[in-house]
Amino acid sequence: MNSGETSSSQNGSNSSVPRDTSCPLTEEELDRYSRQMIVPGMGKEAQLRLLNAKVLIIGAGGLGCPAAQYLAGAGIGTIGLVDGDVVERSNLHRQVGHSTSRIGQPKVSSLMTHLKGLNPLPNYVAHECHITPLNAADLVAPYDLILDCTDNPATRYLISDVCVLLEKPLVSAASVQTSGQIIVLNCPPTPQGQLEGGPYPPCYRCCFKKPPPANAQLSCGEAGILGPVVGLMGVAQAGEAIKILASALHASPSKKGTPRHPVEPTLLLYSYSLTSFLSPFTFRALKMAPRKKNCFACGEGSQARLTLEGLKRGEPDYEFFCGGLGSGPGQGVLSAEERISPREFVETVQQHGKEEGKGKYVVLDTREKEHFSFGSIEGAVNVPFGKLLSKAAQMKRSGETPEVEDILPPEVKIEDSGGDENVPIYVVCRRGLDSQEAVEKLKEMGLDRGGKRKIVDIAGGMKAWKEQVDPSFPYL
Amino acid sequence: MSAPKPPKGHFNLLYFASASSHTGKDMEALPAPLPLRKLFDTLEERYQGIRATVLDHSLVTINLSYVDMPSSEDKDGEDNAVVIQEGDEVAIIPPVSSG
Repeated sequence: MNSGETSSSQNGSNSSVPRDTSCPLTEEELDRYSRQMIVPGMGKEAQLRLLNAKVLIIGAGGLGCPAAQYLAGAGIGTIGLVDGDVVERSNLHRQVGHSTSRIGQPKVSSLMTHLKGLNPLPNYVAHECHITPLNAADLVAPYDLILDCTDNPATRYLISDVCVLLEKPLVSAASVQTSGQIIVLNCPPTPQGQLEGGPYPPCYRCCFKKPPPANAQLSCGEAGILGPVVGLMGVAQAGEAIKILASALHASPSKKGTPRHPVEPTLLLYSYSLTSFLSPFTFRALKMAPRKKNCFACGEGSQARLTLEGLKRGEPDYEFFCGGLGSGPGQGVLSAEERISPREFVETVQQHGKEEGKGKYVVLDTREKEHFSFGSIEGAVNVPFGKLLSKAAQMKRSGETPEVEDILPPEVKIEDSGGDENVPIYVVCRRGLDSQEAVEKLKEMGLDRGGKRKIVDIAGGMKAWKEQVDPSFPYL
Repeated sequence: MSAPKPPKGHFNLLYFASASSHTGKDMEALPAPLPLRKLFDTLEERYQGIRATVLDHSLVTINLSYVDMPSSEDKDGEDNAVVIQEGDEVAIIPPVSSG
């Protein structure tokens, strides 16, 4: 894989040479940018700052596409794009810089095609790779401002750390399901470890000291994302970037004579509910704390902990810090007799059940109801994992030993169990992780009646079901 | 439109992102006053497991301002004395990583 290798597509002058600010705007620029240049506070000076600016957009997805689109439109001089993925069909509802005809193409080149159509004047730089501790500094160094449009915690911490080390302002946004967040970090950039004369702006670690455990991290692929939610956050990132660059808010305060801008770090939170017409809260602007004395990356003594050389040596270890890869919960927790493959389930349990009448077993599907709405195993009852856990907690508090009916939705009745009180329970989820935890939980609740009732995990979840039993199953 | 006013003697607790999915709620009213350092214990009691999966890495605001959570690591943190008052709006905000 190429790591950090760049290809530059240039139009007009080489943008690494700063443009002469006394030089007038071209006829085309005057026309193209006229509507934004006459906005109060903009003017020629501000537009020239944009034309001289270099912005790196890391991630060409749901955040990066709208952000890049507005930055290109505004005439940012150099726009770098970092992404190692290719365009997939399931990206298109939100990643508006790609198109159906470009499925399978690298995201960076696809987005560049879109941006050039919008505005051919900026200098676009393609970095067709993922950002890693090895290439991060080289990628970030040439730019004035960085946009974090990525999709995982390890990368977020890495980008923030590099921005602290290289003193770059960072506009960070994130979004999943119906929530979005955006915050400007490290702006104006302040030397690492400097606290005297503060307050100074925070970095990502000042706000979020540690990542969620790996099993609680939601990705758009697994948890879902609404296009307008992530789109809004991406557009807001472009807005913050334009503001910072046009007003030179990122000028380092250490330079003598530069007026100090007050540090007012703010986290904008966007959240709404699809089911309530008048959601009680949508936007909230939260006042954040400044740089923290005990921050790992930018606090007191941080120069000894976090260095560019250390990054290349693998310190800190971002994957480990963020829970690593493939360290999902509950793997290998259950014994062999507590698990059954989907095929085996069909061949033994379902067949057997059909021969001797219904009601011989219960299938609990612990996926969210939206997933369940597309289909499940015949006769399965939907008890979302979160609901099951809170039910378990409730039972534990009250000290009751529940019956199967207690954990099922009230409208579900177990049909005649043929005199067998110990109807076995089969648990299935999406990929076979939650279901294992659910099996443990049900036993903890005493539903296995001291071993008299079988509680079994359908291994690999509905994903394995689709692979082994029903290829037409709408697995999402 | 803002969140409804909490009943007398209560504060509003708002749950965002995974805090909302874990509790199954957007918000609820809890009895006030409550020392900030007791907040996570109170929630863990109600929602088993929420501390490890949600609270420990979330940021907390009171009336739209960030507050340092007193943790076991820094027992004498200066904000240990913060008490959530009647009518306050407290929010649990987990980081979101996707995009």
